[in-house]
Amino acid sequence: MTEQPSANAVTLSRLTKSYRVGHVFQKRKTVLHELTFEVRQGEIFGYLGPNGSGKTTTLKVLSRLLFPDGGEVTILGRPLADPSWRAKAGYLPEHPYLYDYLTAREYLDYVGQLFGMARPARTERTRLLLRLVGLERSADVALRRFSKGMVQRAGLAQALMNDPDLVILDEPMSGLDPLGRRLVRDVILGLKKEGKTVLFSTHILSDAETLCDRIAILRAGRLLDVGRLADILRLDVAHMEVLVSGVDPERVELEGIHGRHVLGERHRLEVEEKALGAVVRAVEQAGGRILAVQPIRQSLEDFFVQEMGRPGNGAPGGEEA
Amino acid sequence: MNRLLAVASNTFRETVRERVLYNLVFFALAMTLSGLLLSELSIRQDEKIIKDVGLAAIDFFGTLIAVFIGVGLVSKEMERRSLHPLLAKPLRRTEFFLGKYVGLAGTLLVNTSVMTLGMLGTLKMVGHRPDLNLLSAVYPLYLGMLVVVAVALLLSTLTSSALAAVGTVGVALAGRYSDVIRNMRQVAPGAPPELVTVLYYVLPNFANFDFKDKVAYGDPVGAASLGLVTLYAAFYIAILLSLGLASFNRRDL
Repeated sequence: MTEQPSANAVTLSRLTKSYRVGHVFQKRKTVLHELTFEVRQGEIFGYLGPNGSGKTTTLKVLSRLLFPDGGEVTILGRPLADPSWRAKAGYLPEHPYLYDYLTAREYLDYVGQLFGMARPARTERTRLLLRLVGLERSADVALRRFSKGMVQRAGLAQALMNDPDLVILDEPMSGLDPLGRRLVRDVILGLKKEGKTVLFSTHILSDAETLCDRIAILRAGRLLDVGRLADILRLDVAHMEVLVSGVDPERVELEGIHGRHVLGERHRLEVEEKALGAVVRAVEQAGGRILAVQPIRQSLEDFFVQEMGRPGNGAPGGEEA
Repeated sequence: MNRLLAVASNTFRETVRERVLYNLVFFALAMTLSGLLLSELSIRQDEKIIKDVGLAAIDFFGTLIAVFIGVGLVSKEMERRSLHPLLAKPLRRTEFFLGKYVGLAGTLLVNTSVMTLGMLGTLKMVGHRPDLNLLSAVYPLYLGMLVVVAVALLLSTLTSSALAAVGTVGVALAGRYSDVIRNMRQVAPGAPPELVTVLYYVLPNFANFDFKDKVAYGDPVGAASLGLVTLYAAFYIAILLSLGLASFNRRDL
């Protein structure tokens, strides 16, 4: 079979998944509702949603750990059921459990064998990856002695063993300290530089804002939005933030103020953009000083909170079909 | 095939590192004690008792490993989710499943071989020629262990590891008393005849793998008997692994 050229690394079309729940009288619970989106080649794609929204379920379907009820999925131009794409993909599960009777070096070597790599290639790739994830000094320590963060790093290394074109990471920052998070971010950015595609799930919005070219937002198994961050978020200025000192704004007549916050000797004012000039003049006339003025745009977190709180978005975990 | 062998080799390494082969210490102890304590008995008696104890220990420890390690082979991987990163790779579920089976079969082969050598060594120690006819009793015992592992693997894909362990022990015990099951209506006339017949024919008859007494008395076991018991084991293993694979290949993990 010849490889089909495709601009998309992953394409989901009406992907649906349900589980049986209950013990005696079992019912089907739909956890993914006709998801349709694509991940383009060479991009970093963030898959966002609160706990129980279906992120891990989606990634497990892509990794053939779960079988979908309906819909179509293609990965690297091949149908999901065609195992050939798996030679070019890497997967890090959420909270990975790696064989704890092996050392990190042995585990990576084992993974290399599953990819059919020759021993010299396995040895070289293992050495390189252990250095990349900062585990070269612990390479020969049994994984049962690893901390949670170290296991996560080893898990990331195994996902990259075959130098994959597509890397699927389920909550890759989970359990990592700030240094570890920085390392994972750098690895993800490095993969993008090499032209690889990264699809990762997270509920840490700052990671998505820092890294992602595009994102999809999931809520209760339904897709809320997908696209570039700039298109999803309102990037026009929501309001201006003005930091003043030397005057109590309560005693100055000001219009267009949405909020006032006391910060010791200083005050932070949330001001409508069109009222900014009048506010600055009024503060200066009252003897105060303007310390800082900055525009405030809607953050991903603002969007998330706003969308999650919207009625009709359903309870986490899907609904019964 | 290479991937299957990689899984098998890693499974063997796992059982070794998880100290499964420590049972050999108990075997060595049993052999040494029987060799020392029985040296006072007459020549014919001590030889037979060493063979009886040795073969019974091989059977007991091998079946114990087959049940309890066999049940955990795949179910432990599913519960801990350690197979998730592996099955996302080019490794097929069939390769993983059969690789785990082959790996434990390898462990049992090493375990059984070392015990057999220990038994032959004990015989030599108390002044007898090592009787290679013992191998014709050990080989069918090993086949029986392979059937038990296949039962354990099948049940562990269908239910929890605890229930699978109970079920496998049940099959291993009931299969040793197939004749009792066949004649159950004589002692329990109320037993449904259909159920008794189904149980008798479905459960593997582990008595077919038992040549211990025959060999201990020095009687030879014919090649035809060994061939038949090999086919019998292969038939059950093929059916059990096929059913296990059918379940595992369709299962959400």
